[in-house]
Amino acid sequence: MASNVAMTTGTRPTRPARWTAAAVAAVALAGCGVTVPTDPDGTLTAVRGGELRVGVSPHEPWTVVGPDGVPAGLEIDLVEGFAQTLDADVVWSTGGEEELVDDLERGELDLVVGGFSASSPWTSKAAVTVAYTTVTDADGKPEGHVMLTPMGENAFLVELERFLLDQEVSAP
Amino acid sequence: MTQGAVEQSFRFGNTELPPDAREAARRAKRLAWLTIAFLVTAVTSVYLVMGSSQAMKAAWAEDLLSFIPPIAFLVALRVTGRVPSEQHPYGYHRSVGIGHLVAATALLTMGAFLVFDSVSGLLSGEHPPVGTVVVLGHPMWAGWLMVAVLAYTCVPAVLLGRAKMPLAEQLHDRVLHADADMNKADWMTGVGGIVGVLGIGVGLWWADSAAALFISASILHDGVKNLRSAVAALMDSRATTVDGSRPHPLGGAIDETLRALDWVSDAASRVRDQGHVFHVEAFVVGRDGMPTQAQLQKAWDAVTGLDWKVEDLVVVPVDELPEELLPGVRGGG
Repeated sequence: MASNVAMTTGTRPTRPARWTAAAVAAVALAGCGVTVPTDPDGTLTAVRGGELRVGVSPHEPWTVVGPDGVPAGLEIDLVEGFAQTLDADVVWSTGGEEELVDDLERGELDLVVGGFSASSPWTSKAAVTVAYTTVTDADGKPEGHVMLTPMGENAFLVELERFLLDQEVSAP
Repeated sequence: MTQGAVEQSFRFGNTELPPDAREAARRAKRLAWLTIAFLVTAVTSVYLVMGSSQAMKAAWAEDLLSFIPPIAFLVALRVTGRVPSEQHPYGYHRSVGIGHLVAATALLTMGAFLVFDSVSGLLSGEHPPVGTVVVLGHPMWAGWLMVAVLAYTCVPAVLLGRAKMPLAEQLHDRVLHADADMNKADWMTGVGGIVGVLGIGVGLWWADSAAALFISASILHDGVKNLRSAVAALMDSRATTVDGSRPHPLGGAIDETLRALDWVSDAASRVRDQGHVFHVEAFVVGRDGMPTQAQLQKAWDAVTGLDWKVEDLVVVPVDELPEELLPGVRGGG
């Protein structure tokens, strides 16, 4: 009881003041050196000037894998453009969606493309980007097209989204 | 019954409220509607920016649950206004207790669910993705928008809580008290959420789940605290102050008033909280046997004059105080 009284009348910081201090400290931390957002696993830093490991699931016309295994298509071009802004070399691997998303979860891939829509069932296992273009689906409803990135690698996600938002993409 | 005599009056059953309490009830009603209006804006804006943040989800759930107390208060205020009938001779005051119990159970259930949710998020190492939003043509990190919305939800809640607290005490309304208490603590939810989102921002994936755990634990705590006091009141425990912290001073005041009467040698009473008003059974021992009708009437007037909360009073003349009905009467003075 006595200590309670001391807290309200004395000079010790009250609870709100301490919380505010913590919040200010977090913002200050963000201000000096640490960029917001930051990747917990450092994907963006690893990719910049290095390799961009991309999984491709064939889904015409968004992604096409030729008989020789060389990927092509609208999303391939977008990924190549993004890699250029990061000065990174793209390493392609092809496979089924599930396999590629598993690799993404394990941190063996940085990005998966395959004509995914915003209502993709993979949203609980991968972070989806903003829609880089919107098409009308079979039911006549608008549907955004997205790419998949690793969960919680927010700096990488934001970097890719900023790139995608800058592109003028018309659906194939 | 004297009904429809004056302007739209606030009453708790048979009890006409004195002017200052009537004014308090009117203000409390207005504040309850204001709270609902604020919560609509808070729930909508948090929902729009929530994304995949666990802490935002917990904060949203808390805002959603905050609808229950003001609604329960408004409903209880209407119901308790009814005059006792043959079917309900004790009036409708218990509706406060029922509203309180329902609100507490909702808090407890939701709190427990969210604690489980955030602990499992922590254990499975969920990394919450927070990407970009486009605001007025400018892409920005969605986390900043979340922080702004959470900061908005902090301020009005605290102001509403502070305004409601004295009214809850004056009206002796436990639902309003629980509501004010939750509002006052709401800034912790906001700040907790902000810390969680900023944590995601600096790359601490666990900060979000940890903040969510903190918020859900506070919801759970509110639930347990309210469930206790709601159940205690419904179990006819001794009437306490509205926050349940100590016995209500009216209990002692009633006994003293009765003992101060010259024909009374001893008196004790049991008081239960019906919700807003008290139900009092007072036992008095006369100095010279059976008191007269006039003496009893005077005793009744003296006690009911103490406070508007004690109108439902029974004065029972007895030879000696019945210990089986007044536990503790032997030990206490």
